[in-house]
Amino acid sequence: MRKLVLLLATASSLCLSGGAFAAGTMNVALIGEVDTLDPMISTKAVVNMVTQHFYETLYALDESWEPQPLLAAGPPEYSNGDKTIRIPLRTGIKFHDGSDMTSADVVDSLNRWLEVSPRAKEFKPLVKTITADGDDAIVIELTDSYAPLLSLLSFPSAPPVVVPQEIISADQLTATVGTGPYTLAEYKPDQYMRATRFDGYQSPEGAPSFLAGERQQNLDEIRFIPVPDANTRMEGLASGQFDYADGIQIENYDRLLESDATEPVLMEDAFAPNFALNHKAGLMTNPDLRKAVQYALAPEDMLLAAVGNDVFFEADGALYPKGHVWHNEAGVEEYNVNDPARAKQHLDAGGYDGTPLRILTSHQYEFHFKMAEVAKFYLENAGFKVELVVVDWATLGEKRNDPKEWDIYITHSPFLPDPAINQLLSADSNIGWSDPEKDAALKELATETDLEARKEIFAHIQELYFRDVPYIKVGNISELRGSRKGVTGVPLGPWMVFWNAKLPD
Amino acid sequence: MVSYLRTRLLGMVLTVLIVLVFVFFIARLAPGDPAELLLGPDASAADAEALRERMGLNLPVPVQFLSFLGQLLRGDLGTSIFYRQPVLEVMAARAEPTILLTLMSLAIAVTIALPIGIYGAYRRGGAFDQGAVAVAMLAAALPNFWVGLLLQKYLGTDLGWFPVSGYGNPDASIWERVQHLVLPSIALGFAQSAIILRFSRASMLDVLGDDYIRTARSKGISERRVVLRHALRNALIPIVTVIGLSFALLISGAVITERVFNLPGVGSLIVGAVLRRDYPLIQAALIVVAALYILVNFLIDMIYLAIDPRVKY
Repeated sequence: MRKLVLLLATASSLCLSGGAFAAGTMNVALIGEVDTLDPMISTKAVVNMVTQHFYETLYALDESWEPQPLLAAGPPEYSNGDKTIRIPLRTGIKFHDGSDMTSADVVDSLNRWLEVSPRAKEFKPLVKTITADGDDAIVIELTDSYAPLLSLLSFPSAPPVVVPQEIISADQLTATVGTGPYTLAEYKPDQYMRATRFDGYQSPEGAPSFLAGERQQNLDEIRFIPVPDANTRMEGLASGQFDYADGIQIENYDRLLESDATEPVLMEDAFAPNFALNHKAGLMTNPDLRKAVQYALAPEDMLLAAVGNDVFFEADGALYPKGHVWHNEAGVEEYNVNDPARAKQHLDAGGYDGTPLRILTSHQYEFHFKMAEVAKFYLENAGFKVELVVVDWATLGEKRNDPKEWDIYITHSPFLPDPAINQLLSADSNIGWSDPEKDAALKELATETDLEARKEIFAHIQELYFRDVPYIKVGNISELRGSRKGVTGVPLGPWMVFWNAKLPD
Repeated sequence: MVSYLRTRLLGMVLTVLIVLVFVFFIARLAPGDPAELLLGPDASAADAEALRERMGLNLPVPVQFLSFLGQLLRGDLGTSIFYRQPVLEVMAARAEPTILLTLMSLAIAVTIALPIGIYGAYRRGGAFDQGAVAVAMLAAALPNFWVGLLLQKYLGTDLGWFPVSGYGNPDASIWERVQHLVLPSIALGFAQSAIILRFSRASMLDVLGDDYIRTARSKGISERRVVLRHALRNALIPIVTVIGLSFALLISGAVITERVFNLPGVGSLIVGAVLRRDYPLIQAALIVVAALYILVNFLIDMIYLAIDPRVKY
């Protein structure tokens, strides 16, 4: 019942028609500072969320996570066994500095993206050339076909945004000049970022659908305000200082719902927390000990500790949530086993000698730490000795790159539009899951173009994932945001975007 | 006096230099670097190494130190990695809220604490004194972030008297900005008042028991004059020290209060710089804070000269 009320509340906030609306300025409380205005280099959600208002990609995801043309004039034209891809470009597109977007800008932007983006790593070795085909198209030549190409070009995480050639540099972009519906008017770090309507904007056509379709620019100005403290975001929303707030604590759900001034916005299955297991060095290189970890853990209790309310999580071991195009149930019987006796059998079979299992985590994401504490209890219950290594996120980022420093580290990730770009599955990741059968299946997933065949390949990879335990997806967590009552036009998704948002009159 | 000042200034410069060397190396001893943080959670070691190279962060630490010293000799403290502005400009932009917050919270603390401390000492053991001591203990015991949360909820959200966060809109006047500082100033001032109250009470108690106070009273001087002219002046030395140190502490950043109220001050800047491993900013901020502490201590010593004729350098 509560879920129904919640869905109704979120649905009402999505409604685009009816009621009286004002243009004006919307104040949006972010969970933290935008560390860089160069979206190509960063996978941070807050960076990619804000910069999407300034920069655009060739394609954008719709609400079914299907790529739709944005700066491209239509779908790509494949030839030469899908190894040559011609992308037509829209014409008359202007950058914020008044110059016209050209095919040369697109080529240089994509080439830079290949060099600097963490998301382009798997794709880059396949690219032979990217060239302009006249003024209104580009051509990508590949050494092999690559099925997730469109998903990758439209995925707004370290994305291939199009910028003028003049602002491209080896380090970070030298200015904030894109083709997006809003321009950067003023930026006072740690205070606010003012995004004002770009008058020369050429919107794509079609009904708005998540990041695709028409971009209406209803607001005169969007102010992004970094507010690192969750309680302050909530009080700012309740007192009317903010119109929209990201990352609201779950315990404030009832308060948002009961207030006359605010309403909750729930994004179900927003992301998945993952326990990454070290396949390169230490205890977790032993397959029996990995199985012992898998069987010892109680994901439901870990999620409850992390989130605090079962309305906001789903204990689901499948790599994609139910309803997603990539969801399948292959191998899920290995999830949520929570059988200490079975775990102990694997500990004995693996010859466990009492060496402490080091779980690397951080308070930066408090739910990571809470899950680590519950995991420690269950692992010790099964016979492991556990050492929690609690560091700040920067330290964790460095330590996880050294296989000698950890056995398990905790991270989280949104559900990627295509499993072929999931780096945790790659042998090159810091997990280092290397298995000939899996590597062959991943390669096949990247080159096969038939969707049904790809789904079968992915189901096989998921089975191997449960067999080899490269990481443990703990479950699906929903994300709570808060909105001033009457705000509409903000689509539900991992990234909040406001180009179609409207304020109540 | 001239000789004292010369020695003192030399000591101050040396202290700042020692701080500078420590800060440089300690910042780099901490694991993690800006490249990891810019790239986000899904980046690999190779991505981080590539960005590190592009940003010039892969040079050996001694080479970076020599380069830093060279910059320093040219009066350049460097450019912030994240803000991409000279660090002194970044700090200057954060000075206003911190200075105003410091002054407002100290004003609140002194206004509350000094009269209560003095009167409590004068009425030692009475109901007022015991009540004051109890309130001071409570103020010292309550974490100021918790007081801040209560103020946000009741005075900010429920009553709507003051803004709950930030430092005002881009076009806010100084008056609007001061309004944003009211709640954090109360939260900070309340905590500071406990320390100042206890020091002023203890200092006054010491002085009120001295022979010259008894002599003054036996001469028939009014109680008001005895307390305010004879006792207070002599009790001021430790009180000035505490107020001075409170000032230095607050100006270097009321870190937690700034975070709770989302104030863009020096404290939150330093914490942000440490979390982001923004080395030039960490260095500059800590050097400036150290210099401030040294300067405030020096000024306190100079104030002693003015308020206590026995002090001579």
